[in-house]
Amino acid sequence: MAKSQILAIDAGGTMTDTFIIDENGDFVVGKAQTTPLDEHIGLLNSARDALSQWDTKIEEEFPKLLAGVYSGTAMLNRLVSRVGRRVGLVVNKGMEDNHRMGRGLQSFLGYSYSDRIHINTHHFDSPLVPRKWTVGITERVDLFGSVVIPLYDHEIEPAIQKLIDEDVEAIVISFLHSYKYPAHERKVRDIAEQIIKKANKDIKVFATVDYYPVRKESHRTNTTIVEAYAAEPSRQTLANIDSALREAGTEFDLRIMASHGGTISIKANELARTCVSGPIGGMVGAKYLAEKLGLKNVACSDIGGTSFDIGLITQGELAINTSPDMARLVLSLPLVSMDTTGAGTGSFVRIDPNYGNISLGPDSAGSRVGVCYPGGGLDTVTVSDCHVVLGLINPNNFIGGIIKLSKEKAYEAVKKQVAEPLGLSVEDAAFGVIQLLESQLRNYLESMILGKGYSPSQYVCFSYGGGGPLHTAGYTKGLGFEDVLIPAWAAGFSAFGCGAADFEYRYDKTLDINVAEKAEYSDILMAGRELQTAWDELKKKVAEEFKKNDYSPEDVDFRLLYRMQYQGQLNDLEIEAPISAFHSVDEWESLIKTFEESYARVYAKAALSPELGYSITGAIVRGVVDVAKPQIPQEPLYGEVPPADAFLGEREIYWNGEFLQANIYEMEKLLPGNRIQAFSILESTATTLVVPLGFEAYLDENRIFHLKEL
Amino acid sequence: MAKYDKKRMNELIDGTLEFYQLKEMMSSHKDPERFEIYREVLQERVSWDDPILLPYGLHLYIVQKSDGDRIVKCDCGHEFCNYKENWKLHARIFVRDTEEKMNEIYPKLMSPDPEWQVIREYYCPNCAVQLEVEAVPPWYPIILDFEPDIDTFYKEWIKRPMPTKA
Repeated sequence: MAKSQILAIDAGGTMTDTFIIDENGDFVVGKAQTTPLDEHIGLLNSARDALSQWDTKIEEEFPKLLAGVYSGTAMLNRLVSRVGRRVGLVVNKGMEDNHRMGRGLQSFLGYSYSDRIHINTHHFDSPLVPRKWTVGITERVDLFGSVVIPLYDHEIEPAIQKLIDEDVEAIVISFLHSYKYPAHERKVRDIAEQIIKKANKDIKVFATVDYYPVRKESHRTNTTIVEAYAAEPSRQTLANIDSALREAGTEFDLRIMASHGGTISIKANELARTCVSGPIGGMVGAKYLAEKLGLKNVACSDIGGTSFDIGLITQGELAINTSPDMARLVLSLPLVSMDTTGAGTGSFVRIDPNYGNISLGPDSAGSRVGVCYPGGGLDTVTVSDCHVVLGLINPNNFIGGIIKLSKEKAYEAVKKQVAEPLGLSVEDAAFGVIQLLESQLRNYLESMILGKGYSPSQYVCFSYGGGGPLHTAGYTKGLGFEDVLIPAWAAGFSAFGCGAADFEYRYDKTLDINVAEKAEYSDILMAGRELQTAWDELKKKVAEEFKKNDYSPEDVDFRLLYRMQYQGQLNDLEIEAPISAFHSVDEWESLIKTFEESYARVYAKAALSPELGYSITGAIVRGVVDVAKPQIPQEPLYGEVPPADAFLGEREIYWNGEFLQANIYEMEKLLPGNRIQAFSILESTATTLVVPLGFEAYLDENRIFHLKEL
Repeated sequence: MAKYDKKRMNELIDGTLEFYQLKEMMSSHKDPERFEIYREVLQERVSWDDPILLPYGLHLYIVQKSDGDRIVKCDCGHEFCNYKENWKLHARIFVRDTEEKMNEIYPKLMSPDPEWQVIREYYCPNCAVQLEVEAVPPWYPIILDFEPDIDTFYKEWIKRPMPTKA
């Protein structure tokens, strides 16, 4: 009998998935229609569906749950379809058109390479705040934080009144360089709140310095607008879900996956960072698994239906991108850094009419699989169709047999659309498509690792996601990874990751502290004091967030980080501080030493340039408290020969010019210690692991496959 | 491969498509039937029956006359000249070469200096539709800017027979 431990919720636009993980790392997936008006109804239906697979009920299992993590697309949908709140914007007078015009690159964010260089396709989405709800107030602060023009007090009232008259539901205040001089924004905020109170209105005011006190005004303004426009309306939804779960017997604090790779409370001050959480679940899970396995450097790769996502864990840490984009907006949120290319198992396969070569994607069939899925109504070949033709996917056991695929349809479509135009046999054409995809993924993976200054031989590759294990051998071949690991629960890895995430807040602040190579002690102490003040301010913010869930500051494990670069260089590095507080010149020395070690690792020792002097560009505080996490399976080892009941029979497949008989195994029935030789196909409900010629797979005691190139 | 019907082509010409539809069309490989459908739609939109060989501008076409001539022709039916000749020399031309004329279409001080640049507007002598606008230095000749090789286009590019009737 399973004992439920972790509940992970993925509320999509149409379906709500729930993953319930037990103490062995086994999980069930439930599905139900999303109920957008009362999300908790769909959620409970979905949980009921999941638990029915373990023959148990919500009433039985919910009180046993140790943790629950939510991720949803409601906020993102609100942004993409522009149905958020009516937000008013206060900016410097003369800058009122900036938000409407947007950053130039926002006109092609998310585009394929060919569209990025084709200017006719460039297009600005309508702004979140229209021009008529944007007002200007005179003030100017320069980049050093000095007041160049004082705040014109008499302009505040009429500006705010105009927004109130326009019946806005929230007001965002964003002045240039406010992160260096917050007083003006705060003064406007306070006066605005008084005016709103006097007018007896319910309008929340957001000053950017209270949320994202960081450089880059487009990013800062956009992010704070997203907070008011899309995130704030989710608060009530989340509170409803929380209380519905408690009524159903849970005792945990519901948390939400956030872009920085941790989970935060639904009461958190900044909710905008929970907009993008889906794809990073896998990275967070990989980090947790790597910690448990004692691995320092991991390259994570995830192939789904539409994209190939890769990210690096280096020295046990996820890389963070501090100005990512989302829904075609530049933002200043800390986002677990990942690279994505639009190539997945659902990618469309076409012959380029101009050059006669195969082109993959960038668009894809998504849940409609391919021509092989009669219910999908597609007529363009996808990568999945090629798998079906080659015999790598079992058409009768796709997603556990819920969807029946037609090999005949796939065969006919590949023949007509790919094989005949290229003058190849159907099987060779399908094999060529797979090879092309895998070599694209391989190049992409390699260039990403090399481009960051590392080499694949320093990394262990993790492969997960529904489509990952099908291609793992192909895209890791010859790269020389230290090891290639595929968890047996690869298909649910993202949900596992959500369940494995820390309860963690992270706050950033921009600094501009410049110190020469051989600086006077007084300069160093002044710099240290400024850094420490920023850390203290951020620590207070983090502590306040945890207080909402009744954690006292003593319960919190604070981690201090800083961003440093050589003066005048363009890229800074984010580094964990080797000190717990700044007291003296000695601490400065260790900050420098840690920076230079990190610099030498990323670039080269010969590139160290202390003669330029140092800049601290940011302070970061991360606070973590202990929460329950899923267990990694731990099983006794058996022999190398797979048990007879795991063997499902043989199937004819086509591989590299010949027809072969492949051994088919049921993934769940394989035992730790088993060694699987080529050519084998390991089938599970939602994923398929292919062990092609030249490879073997070994299942270890943690139920993780090691794919080894012979 | 993308496939579009006549309705979509009509919307494309009228400019009534949503941007996402246009974007999808621009981002896909060009549909092989596009030229033929587009030509047919243009043909349906004009009142005369000379077969259109090539669209030549917003309101202009190169058409096949029954005597074998290939003529530049306007929407309204006005015939300019053989397509190897410069049709602009047969159009009505309005030159904006003073500040006063510039200010009819530009805010004050926002227009080019007419000593350096003039704006030439070409109109159909029959229906007065604006056919072309050029911003050129005042001394610049009136150039025939498009001299298509129609036979090669049909024979080698789109590999189709030339249309013989409307």
